[in-house]
Amino acid sequence: MNQSVSRNARKAAAALLCTTFLLLGACGNSGKQAASDQPYDENAKANITWLNILHTASPPTDTVLNKLEEKTNADIQFSWIPDASKEERINTALASDSLADIVTLTLLDNSSVRNSLKSGLFWEVEPYLNDYPNLAKISEDTRRSASIDGKLYGVPFQKDLARNGITIRKDWLDKLGLETPHTTDELMEVARAFTEDDPDGNGKRDTTGFVDRSDLIYGAFKTLSSYFGTPNNWAVSDDGKMTPEFMTDSYISTMNYMKELYENGYINKDFAVTAKTDQQQKFAQGKAGIYVGAIFDSKNLLNMAKGIQDNMELALVNDITQNGDESERAIWAANNGIGGLLAFPRSEVKDEAELKRVLKFVNDLMDEDAYALMTYGIEGTHYTVDDQDAATITNTDLWQQEVQPFAASRPKESGYPIHDADPLKQESDKLIAENANYAVLNPAYSLESETYNTQGSELQKIVVDATYKYILGEIDEAGFKSAVKNWRKSGGDSIISEYEAAYKANQS
Amino acid sequence: MAKPVNVSDAYLVKLDRQAVRKRRHGIRKHKLLYLMILPGFLYFVVFKYFPMGGLVIAFQDYQPYQGIMGSPWVGLKHFVRLFTEPTFFMLLRNTLILFGMNIVFFFPLPIILALMLNEVRHKFFKNSIQTLIYIPHFMSWVIIVSITYVFLTVDGGVVNELLAALGLSKIGFLTSSEWLRTVYIGQIIWKELGWSTIIYLAAITVVDTQLYEAAEMDGASRLRKTWHVTLPAIRPVIITLLILKIGSTLDLGFEHMYLLLNSLNREVAEIFDTYIYTAGLKNGQLSYSTTVGLFKGVVGLILVMLSNRLAKKFGEDGVY
Repeated sequence: MNQSVSRNARKAAAALLCTTFLLLGACGNSGKQAASDQPYDENAKANITWLNILHTASPPTDTVLNKLEEKTNADIQFSWIPDASKEERINTALASDSLADIVTLTLLDNSSVRNSLKSGLFWEVEPYLNDYPNLAKISEDTRRSASIDGKLYGVPFQKDLARNGITIRKDWLDKLGLETPHTTDELMEVARAFTEDDPDGNGKRDTTGFVDRSDLIYGAFKTLSSYFGTPNNWAVSDDGKMTPEFMTDSYISTMNYMKELYENGYINKDFAVTAKTDQQQKFAQGKAGIYVGAIFDSKNLLNMAKGIQDNMELALVNDITQNGDESERAIWAANNGIGGLLAFPRSEVKDEAELKRVLKFVNDLMDEDAYALMTYGIEGTHYTVDDQDAATITNTDLWQQEVQPFAASRPKESGYPIHDADPLKQESDKLIAENANYAVLNPAYSLESETYNTQGSELQKIVVDATYKYILGEIDEAGFKSAVKNWRKSGGDSIISEYEAAYKANQS
Repeated sequence: MAKPVNVSDAYLVKLDRQAVRKRRHGIRKHKLLYLMILPGFLYFVVFKYFPMGGLVIAFQDYQPYQGIMGSPWVGLKHFVRLFTEPTFFMLLRNTLILFGMNIVFFFPLPIILALMLNEVRHKFFKNSIQTLIYIPHFMSWVIIVSITYVFLTVDGGVVNELLAALGLSKIGFLTSSEWLRTVYIGQIIWKELGWSTIIYLAAITVVDTQLYEAAEMDGASRLRKTWHVTLPAIRPVIITLLILKIGSTLDLGFEHMYLLLNSLNREVAEIFDTYIYTAGLKNGQLSYSTTVGLFKGVVGLILVMLSNRLAKKFGEDGVY
C-alpha cells in the first residue's frame, strides 16, 4: 500500500547514507596527507612523523629542528602531546588508530597501552637492534625490563635508574649553624629549625621546612619511604610471596613521619592540593628550604630564584637513612629505569624497509652531536663549550624556548663526553649516578595481572586517599588498615595472587 | 479519527495516494525551507545519530585494534559490574546531592535577579549591570578554580588570613569534604548567575504592559505586580528550563569537578563524569565507561519524560 512512500524514503535514506559516507571519506582522506607509499631507501631523505610528549609549556621553534633534520637526513613532523594529558591522549590515539611513524609511549603499565602492544599493533624490534651501532649498545637488562611477555615492541628510552633526592638551602643551614642531614631524624630537626628559627632572618615566622606537592610518588613521600626502607611498589620474598608497599611497616613509618611534619607545620599546609609549579615557586621565593624530588630540579630552582633570593645556595643530599648506615641506603627506581618506548605502529610503518629507515633515524638521534643538539642546542647560539667538553648555556631564555622541549625526546640521556659546566648540574649528575648503586627495583614491573590492568588504578586510589587522610590526621592506623582491607577485598587479593603466579612462571 | 466502515480497499488506496500527493506537493512547495533544514538535519545524523551506533561497545569487551566487529560480545557484564560496585552508590549519591543543591540554591537565583533588574528604572544603569554580570560566564573553570584556590588556600590565602586575623581558626576549604559542595555551588553561582538571567529578562520584556497598568489601577504595589503579573507571565519559561535542567541531572559536567577533586574530598566529589574520565580514558576501559555513559543517558531521558508529563499535568506546555 505504502509502496511509493517507502520507495521514496528508501531513496532518501540511500542519498543520505551516500552523503554521510562521502563526508566521512573526505575526512579520512584529508587526515592522511602525503601517504608514504614509496619504498624506503636507506640513504634517501626520510619523512618521519612522531607523536611525542611535550614537557614544556610550548613546542620548540624550528631552529634546532632544522639542524636535527639536516643531521639525520629526515623531514620530521612532530605532533606534541602535553605531558599532563598524555594518558587520555595516547589512549584516544590508540583507540582511534591516529598514530604516527614513531609513537612515544611512556606509560608502559597503562592497561590499554599494554594491550595494544601485546596485540601486535607495533613492530617487534629486537631482531633488528644489533644492526645499528647505537641501538646495539642497549644493554640486555634494559631490553628485558622494557619487554612485555618477553617481546620488545620498541626502542627503550634509556634513563637514569633513580633520580630522586633532596635539595636543601645551604645558606639557611649555615646561618642556623646546622650540618647537612644524613638521617631522617636530622632531616626532621632541619625542618623544625627552618620553620621555627627564622632562617631568612626577617623576624617573622613565615617559612616552612619542606615544600611538597600533591603527588605521593614524584613528590616527597615515595623518596622518604625509600629512606625508611619501603619496597618500590612491591616486595617479593624468597618463597615468591608478593607484598604491596603499603602493607609494610616502613610505609606506616613514612606516613608517621609526614604526619609529624604536617602537624608541626614543618611542611606547607596545603601540600595535598599544591601543583608542581607552585611548589617550585614557593621554594624559589624563599618560603621553604627543603625540596624533595628529582635531584636535577635543583638547577632549575636556583634559576627561578634569581632576582628573588639572590643569596640562595643549595646542597644536594641523596644519602638519608634511618640510622646513618651506608648499608641501609636505598632509593626507588622509577619504572625500573625505563623511560618508555619509541614504538613503531604497523599501520604507519608499512614494511620492513620503512622500519629499517626509522630505526636508522632513531640510531642517528643517539649520536653525540644529535644528543648535544637536543640537550644544549646549537653551539655559539645557545651554548659554548670548553676544551674539557664542558658546556655552558649562554642564553637561557632562548635555550628554554628552542632546546628544552627536545630534552625528553632523547632516546638516551647520559653516557656522553659532553657535559654541563654548571657545578650544581654536575653534582646532581654525580649523585644520580651514585643512586644507581642503591636503586630499589619494582619486582612486579614486567609482570602481568589482569585485575591490575583493568582495575589497578581505581584500586590504587583507595590507598592513595587513605594515605593522605592518615597524614592529615583524618584517620588513624586502624582506619588505614581498614582501607587496605578494602583494597584487598575489592580486587587487591586477586592482584597479589596473579602477580605471584606470574612471578613463579617467570622464575621457572 | 473514526475508521470508515464498509469502504473498499481501492478507496483506501485512493485516499492514501491523495495524502501522499499532498505531502509531496508540500515538499515541492516549500522546497527552499526543506533545503534550509538539510544542513542541520545532516549535522544531527552525522555527528549525533551516527556515532550513537558506537554505544554497542557497552555490550562488548571493546579493543580498539579489533574494532567493533572483532571485539567479543559480553552481554551485560559491564552493567553488572557497574551496579554491583560500591562506587556506584557513592557516585549516585554525590551526583544527586549536588544536583539537588543546584536546584535549591542556584535555580531560583537568576529568576530573582531578573525580577530585580526588571524593577530598575534607570536604563543606562540597568544595561551596565547586565553587561557586567555576564562577564564571569565567559571565564573557563580553570580560571575560576584557580582564583578560588588563591583565595581559599591555607598557605596565605586571603580568606584564611582574614579568619586568622579575626582570631578564628583556619579552614581547609580545599582539602575538606565538608566544604566541597559549598565551594562547588558557590562557584556555579558566581559564574552562571548573571548569564542565566538572559532568558528570564527576555521573557519579561514580552509581558503585556496593559496588565501592569490594570494592576496599578487596582492599587497594586510593585511587589504585588511582580508576584501577580510578572511571575505568572514567565512561568512557562521557568518550567521549560526546569525540565531541561532535570534532564541533565546526572550530567553535572566534567571539567569543573575534576579541577576540584582531590584525595581528601573524593568520597563526596567523585561524580559520574569524573569517574567516566578516569575509568575510561585514563585506564583505557572504553567499554565500561561507555556503559556508565549509557546509564547516564537513559536516566536523563526518563527524567525528562517524567518531568515533562508532570508539567503537562499541571497545565503547562512542557518541552514537546
